[in-house]
Amino acid sequence: MPRAAIAAAIVAAIACTQAACVTVRPSERQVLSRPEMDPARDAPEEVWHSHVESAREGAFGGHGAAGGGCGCG
Amino acid sequence: MRLRLTPRRWRSGLAALALGTAVSGLAAPRPLAAEDRILLRGNYYREASTRILAPEVVVSKDLPDERFNVGVGYLLDAVSSASIAAGAAAVTGGDRVFTEMRHGTTVSANSKLGDNYLSAFFRHSTESDYRGRMLGASYARDVLQRSGTISATYSYSFDRAFWIRANIRDLHPWTSTGDTNLLQVHYLNLGYTHALHPTVLAGLNVEGIVARGPQDNPYRKVLNGLDESHPLLRQRLAPSVFVRWALPKARLVIEPRYRYYADDWGIRAHAIDTRIHIRATRNLLFRLRYRYYTQSGAFFWTEDGFFEHDAPYRTADPKVSRFLSHTPGAQVAFRMDPLAERVEALHFLRGAWIQATYNHVFQTNRFGNARLGSVSLSMPF
Repeated sequence: MPRAAIAAAIVAAIACTQAACVTVRPSERQVLSRPEMDPARDAPEEVWHSHVESAREGAFGGHGAAGGGCGCG
Repeated sequence: MRLRLTPRRWRSGLAALALGTAVSGLAAPRPLAAEDRILLRGNYYREASTRILAPEVVVSKDLPDERFNVGVGYLLDAVSSASIAAGAAAVTGGDRVFTEMRHGTTVSANSKLGDNYLSAFFRHSTESDYRGRMLGASYARDVLQRSGTISATYSYSFDRAFWIRANIRDLHPWTSTGDTNLLQVHYLNLGYTHALHPTVLAGLNVEGIVARGPQDNPYRKVLNGLDESHPLLRQRLAPSVFVRWALPKARLVIEPRYRYYADDWGIRAHAIDTRIHIRATRNLLFRLRYRYYTQSGAFFWTEDGFFEHDAPYRTADPKVSRFLSHTPGAQVAFRMDPLAERVEALHFLRGAWIQATYNHVFQTNRFGNARLGSVSLSMPF
């Protein structure tokens, strides 16, 4: 894997570690619980786009998010 | 004669890559809805030489309550093509269009145990010269007082590729340069999503695939008439990040995404996908999208399409060529509660929504520009 990708992965990992220190209280999650903030809401559409892209591009991925994080499940 | 045109290039994506799509769809580990629901979708794809119509139905039901959910999905891929690259000219004399059907069925079981989400699924798909089966399982857990979600998904597919020589009954295992027509694909997805702020959600995913088996097209030939021949092993890695940033006063959500991709065939790709979600009213949502994609070519791709007789690998697959694409798109979604409340006969639409999406792909590869869209209706029952 090229250096740029390794660097990006390290930066992302550090960012996640820092982010993990932050906790949004349940009372502050009104906006996060809106449908447009829920990655899982787009899953059927993502399946179709992933289907097309995997058949027409050499790459794959970027469509899978587990949702959550908003505490509204 | 028939089906030298079997659209393997379309299907090959399924064989090796749709694992991720299954993960993000029916079997995705996500909070279970406390309702039973049916989803009807009509998907459409069109480019110069190929048209796809893909109707789909997914039913999910809580049994006996929201802690356990089962799902069943069916997808029909009707692929009509007159692509010379896929062999249509050789079979039909040049101007006939073939339609190939692929039937895909997925069953899943999902469970929520406290902050843990478990999911397992099995998918079976079949078409005239290809049989795909896939097993998978997912686990997700809410952490940090449910501000974050970690997830892991693994799936294993074991497909069989065949080669139709003269007619539909003249079916032979396609082994490429190997000794088996079995294509095995291991897929792993690790993800973390976190609420960074009351208006910001961010996520990181890393996806990997190891595919072993025939991955070329028995019908496709390079420009100087030699058979296509791809490596039997492919190892792929795709880290990606996304952010959803809400601007409540403007009723907007801005969603940038980035994905990097690398594999041992020498392909490197970048995808930047930015979306803007606009809440026009309580029940009406628009989404605008722009995606930029670029990739390098595989190490065995040649621009002129000619290969030596003793070249170990040969390809005529535009997917592994160097190209870039721009994809603008739009989506509208409408929650049907107002209609259900005003018209007595439509009360059954309470909680239902409809959605329509259109995207236009401008790309520099041999496939040419493309249009893709979908219409979907989701109803509780």
